[in-house]
Amino acid sequence: MNRWLVGALWAELIAGTLAAQRPPAPAAMKPTLPDGPGRQVVQQACGSTCHGAEIVAGKGYSRDNWATVVNSMIARGAKASGTEFGEIVDYLTKNLPPRTGKAGAGGVGFIGSGPDDAHLVDGEAAERGKSVYVAECITCHGNRGRGGPDSLPPPQRGSDLVRSLVVLKDRYGATIAEFLKKGHPLQSGKPSASLDGPQVLDLAHFLHLKVNDTLRSGPFSEVINVLTGDAKAGSEYFSGAGGCNKCHSTTGDLAGVGKKYDPPALQQKFLFPKSFSVGRGGRGVTSTKPVTLKVTPAGGKTVAGVLLYLDDFNVSLRDDAGEYHTWTRSSGLKVEKSDPYQAHIDLLDKYTDKNMHDIVAYLETLK
Amino acid sequence: MRTTLFLFLVVSSWAQTLDPAKLSAPPTDTWPSFNGDYSGRRFSPLTKVNANNVSSLSLGWVYRMTAQSAGPFPGSIKSTPVVVDGVMFFTIPDHVWAIDARTGRELWHFAWPSRGGIHIGNRGVAVHGKWLYFETPDCNLVSLNMKDGKERWHKQICDPDLLYFASAAPLVVGNHVIAGVSGDDLDVPGYIQSHDPETGAMQWRWYAYPEVGSPEAKSWPTVEAMLHGGGMTWGSTTFDPELNLIYFGTGNPQPVIAHKGRMGDNLFTECIVAVNADTGKRAWYFQSSPHDTHDWDANQTPVLIDGTINGQPRKLLAQAARNGYFFVLDRVTGKNIVTSTFAKANWAKGLDQKGQPIPDPAKYPQIDGALVSPNQAGAANWPPPSFSPATGLFYVNASNAYSVYYIYDDTEKPEGWGGNDRGGWSETVMQAIDYQTGKIRWSHKWEGPGGPRSGVLSTAGNVVFAGDPQNNFVALNATTGQPLWRANLGAGMSNGPISYQLDGIQYVVVGAGDTLYGFAMHGK
Repeated sequence: MNRWLVGALWAELIAGTLAAQRPPAPAAMKPTLPDGPGRQVVQQACGSTCHGAEIVAGKGYSRDNWATVVNSMIARGAKASGTEFGEIVDYLTKNLPPRTGKAGAGGVGFIGSGPDDAHLVDGEAAERGKSVYVAECITCHGNRGRGGPDSLPPPQRGSDLVRSLVVLKDRYGATIAEFLKKGHPLQSGKPSASLDGPQVLDLAHFLHLKVNDTLRSGPFSEVINVLTGDAKAGSEYFSGAGGCNKCHSTTGDLAGVGKKYDPPALQQKFLFPKSFSVGRGGRGVTSTKPVTLKVTPAGGKTVAGVLLYLDDFNVSLRDDAGEYHTWTRSSGLKVEKSDPYQAHIDLLDKYTDKNMHDIVAYLETLK
Repeated sequence: MRTTLFLFLVVSSWAQTLDPAKLSAPPTDTWPSFNGDYSGRRFSPLTKVNANNVSSLSLGWVYRMTAQSAGPFPGSIKSTPVVVDGVMFFTIPDHVWAIDARTGRELWHFAWPSRGGIHIGNRGVAVHGKWLYFETPDCNLVSLNMKDGKERWHKQICDPDLLYFASAAPLVVGNHVIAGVSGDDLDVPGYIQSHDPETGAMQWRWYAYPEVGSPEAKSWPTVEAMLHGGGMTWGSTTFDPELNLIYFGTGNPQPVIAHKGRMGDNLFTECIVAVNADTGKRAWYFQSSPHDTHDWDANQTPVLIDGTINGQPRKLLAQAARNGYFFVLDRVTGKNIVTSTFAKANWAKGLDQKGQPIPDPAKYPQIDGALVSPNQAGAANWPPPSFSPATGLFYVNASNAYSVYYIYDDTEKPEGWGGNDRGGWSETVMQAIDYQTGKIRWSHKWEGPGGPRSGVLSTAGNVVFAGDPQNNFVALNATTGQPLWRANLGAGMSNGPISYQLDGIQYVVVGAGDTLYGFAMHGK
């Protein structure tokens, strides 16, 4: 197939499916966030600057996945306290659990990709559809619908259904039924048109599920295994090159840390201690050690406290007595910042991936 | 073209009509396209606001988006406004507004009835004569009358069922409206296309994959992988009228993270591409990220610089890429002149003969994780950078960042994503890069956590405007990086700032969340 033919096929696909008809749908109601504890902090932290409602409303993730989303936002500068990030994850987990089907606004993909009227998968129907698939399709189209194995001769090597336009254009079996009515080989040897309506619908749910499995928000968003390191080497790094023992003790603050977090959370936590972590048993844990400041006006006394605000023009802190102090920055005003996690930040430039995996293996032993 | 020019003469009594000559001239009383002119420099030749007086820049007007963007969150203005004949046009997904560029007063508002798609952002409108063009999340290119916001036509440019969406600002070149597409959920190919400004009919389309059987096709293991290989065109496009070439970047290859089914360089994903504006025929390509596995779309603006290398005047193109690398190319041939880093980047083990980074396989996403810089958000991203011919510096609001990249799908044939990055740390730094050497001339680290980043504007008044992570809109000395002035906008700056002068008043306009702020410099 030459490039222009391929291009023409895509052009035809796009032209054919995209005939310039004005979409008849009225403006869809924009999704709203459900009421509940934490809604306000979600709106404030996520909505004030970066996002529209569609970003989170209508989405559904597990607690782990929401924590991952929130951590990635923290890394990109989302502003809230550790406690608030905990509230945000709690709110999102409770109010926006993984979607199971029926009504909902926006597409099924990450941050609402896809059409509003996308096929929403019903898990039970997909499970039934799996039986249909195993009975009639799996030999040629493969275990997960991504096409038959290379070992099959080309005529029997079924196409990739996850990339199939028949599947991607389908809603609730309509397009798939039309396709099967025309006649397509089935494993059982039955005519494909003999599959009844409910069977085709179930099959459709299964195939759409297989498409959704490939999305970034799909169910395969789990870390498989991080315990590949050498605990002994990790222990040596901890007390040697890493210098972790300068601040931490495995019998003090880190005692039992392997019980507190599972290994994937442990890896993220020691690399990025300011991140929100889901501990074993589903408890949210965040670090709360604040950045501190020492501010010295020209010829004046040094004031120390917790950083509240710092930019190129202004600085403010709260001292140990709870008093608020604020200054305009100038060349005469000395500002010294101390981040309790600076050693972790500095190590990011130094760790090898082997160091990283060795440390996790070591910390995992601290139970 | 002659007909078009004739039409302009006839209709010159209409209030809002764009003289096409404005599109290639440095912007003064207009800001007629996403980048202000075809070069992508975002450099204002105005000097009424300058490093000596910017501290007296004052707020002239405020425009807060009207209720049509209802919902629990107000939405965010990520578009760069366009200004023609004293009227400003800007967008958020599905919405376009016209406001008075002197007062911020609303003239009209257009709402598109959406059928879905990702509503993460819209970059703005393009103008041809008295017509506006913009893209919608549900994959339409829509043309409106500038006068009243009434729709003239719309054309579907991609398919939401395949999880494409549209967010880019189109670019008008002669009698072409160039429109890019977005979407990296499913394994579908990227492309960019051109439409007739009058009828909306498609004129050409360029696909982000090579011809089957060509040498470049060998950068994919199979034809199937290539035809499902991604490479979206959601960034901004620049244009050299003398060469009649448009320049744009292409996005990540598909599958995005779990890459074992697409070993090879994966052309033309992650490339800077030069294409003939009339035919869509490729002139050259340069790959910023061969075999990308980190979602580092190379869609950052290809900025056109008429500069000097070794004493010789050259037509150049510079990009500060999401992967942390800064490239300077000859824009006639695509040959590399400078490659350097402008942020932390630990993923490459050197440069190839073409000046392209060679990815280190150890930093591909791994089952047990690979610690990678930059993170998925990248060292740079969609916020547009700026180049000042006055200082010879390329300004980019950059991120130093780390995250851990994992493979989640280790089965035989991963598709879609199959992995992702997690967690991270970042800090934001304004980098001023010498285009002749790639060296950082000055660097200003912003206080506070990394991001959100902002676009940048540089001016002949020796000022650089940008946002910091604390919601400040800041003016820096363009030569030294010294902070000169700020206004805290209460929300992070969300677009690229612009400047124009009307009736002797120079305006600097910036978006932060749901609000546009029009700063003004009065007096002599």
